[in-house]
Amino acid sequence: MKLNIGTVRSDYAGFNSIARVAEQSHGAFSDSVEVDFSSCDFFEANMAAPLYVVVARLRDELNDVSLINLKPDLDTILRKNHFLTKFQKTALIDTNQTTVPFKVFKLQAGEQFFEYLESYMYGKGIPAMSAVLTKRFQQSLFEIFQNAAIHSRSISGIFTCGQFFPQKHRLDFTIADAGVGIRDNIRQYTGNTKMSSCAAIKWALTEGNTTKTGNQPGGLGLKLLKDFIRMNEGKLQIISRSGYYEFSATGDNCKKLDHDFPGTCVNIEINTQDTNSYYLKSELSSNDIF
Amino acid sequence: MNDQVSIRVADLIGGPLGISAEDGQKVFEKVLPLLKKSRPVNISFDHVDMVISLFLNVAIGQLYGSFSEDEVKALVRVEGLSGDDMELLKHVVDNAKKYYSNPKGYDAAWQEEASEDEQ
Repeated sequence: MKLNIGTVRSDYAGFNSIARVAEQSHGAFSDSVEVDFSSCDFFEANMAAPLYVVVARLRDELNDVSLINLKPDLDTILRKNHFLTKFQKTALIDTNQTTVPFKVFKLQAGEQFFEYLESYMYGKGIPAMSAVLTKRFQQSLFEIFQNAAIHSRSISGIFTCGQFFPQKHRLDFTIADAGVGIRDNIRQYTGNTKMSSCAAIKWALTEGNTTKTGNQPGGLGLKLLKDFIRMNEGKLQIISRSGYYEFSATGDNCKKLDHDFPGTCVNIEINTQDTNSYYLKSELSSNDIF
Repeated sequence: MNDQVSIRVADLIGGPLGISAEDGQKVFEKVLPLLKKSRPVNISFDHVDMVISLFLNVAIGQLYGSFSEDEVKALVRVEGLSGDDMELLKHVVDNAKKYYSNPKGYDAAWQEEASEDEQ
């Protein structure tokens, strides 16, 4: 089976393209699946994370997955970010140091994820961001990672990847899982078996909403992430099953994908030149909190 | 016997990262019996470099499921969090108060959200 992937950027068309490959290969078992890049003019390296959702699902069904006809530039960048090591190719040294390598984490590997961020994210060509921005960014990534760990039920783990675009002063970081999707969790939790993917994403973004059981409050992670992105003038994309949600300075909207993406992917793009302080105007004391 | 008890979070969770629900639960389970005995508790975040809402929800937000706002206010203190983490904790506490005042209320409005030809 040969599947054409086309050009993939971190946008609606790019995610749709990956979801199409997933849909076309759905049901394949113990087959040979070739993802053909001959008509791919550009592939944003952070999109390796959602692509691996499709690969992991196929490999889980004992398919032999290969990537074919990669153009030399693309081959180089996907070796630099270690993605092609998952396809038995050697990694290349990232001399420009603009990649945060592709990595697969087990669901419980929050602390290893921290070490990974510490090792690759800072001071390596990725620009020196203010200490507060760095911390808020890290917290945001943890909120996403732990959301995936708790809710996804992904048997193949969590896939992460990042790419710095120096000319645009933008850093994209993508966290994906091959899990059940936001929609299925919320359908189960609310009992509304007809809730669409977009409605489910909006539900998850509403402050206080959580499907976590055990009589504990929650549902702040994605809301906080959105607040941070608003202030940073960055961009947030959440793709889960048939839903494509995007939030940026120009507003937010959710569109239905033409194809079913078999998991969830969160991409955050931050403005690395941001100098906001992110502090409250007045310091809070313990008395103000409770 | 009303001496304040200090809980050092970094010691309890074995490191500087307050990022998991399990570690949040460890803190909660130390605070809970002390508050039941009306012992004042000081939760120290010294040497904790990173906290996220998930951890704070479980460690501290969850207290509002067992105690009134007045009881928590009278007995719990926190120290060692940076200004922005105090802001995060305030968010968590406000959310917890709302949650325990009407835990199922959030869901009702979403029953009518229909699918756009998804299965």
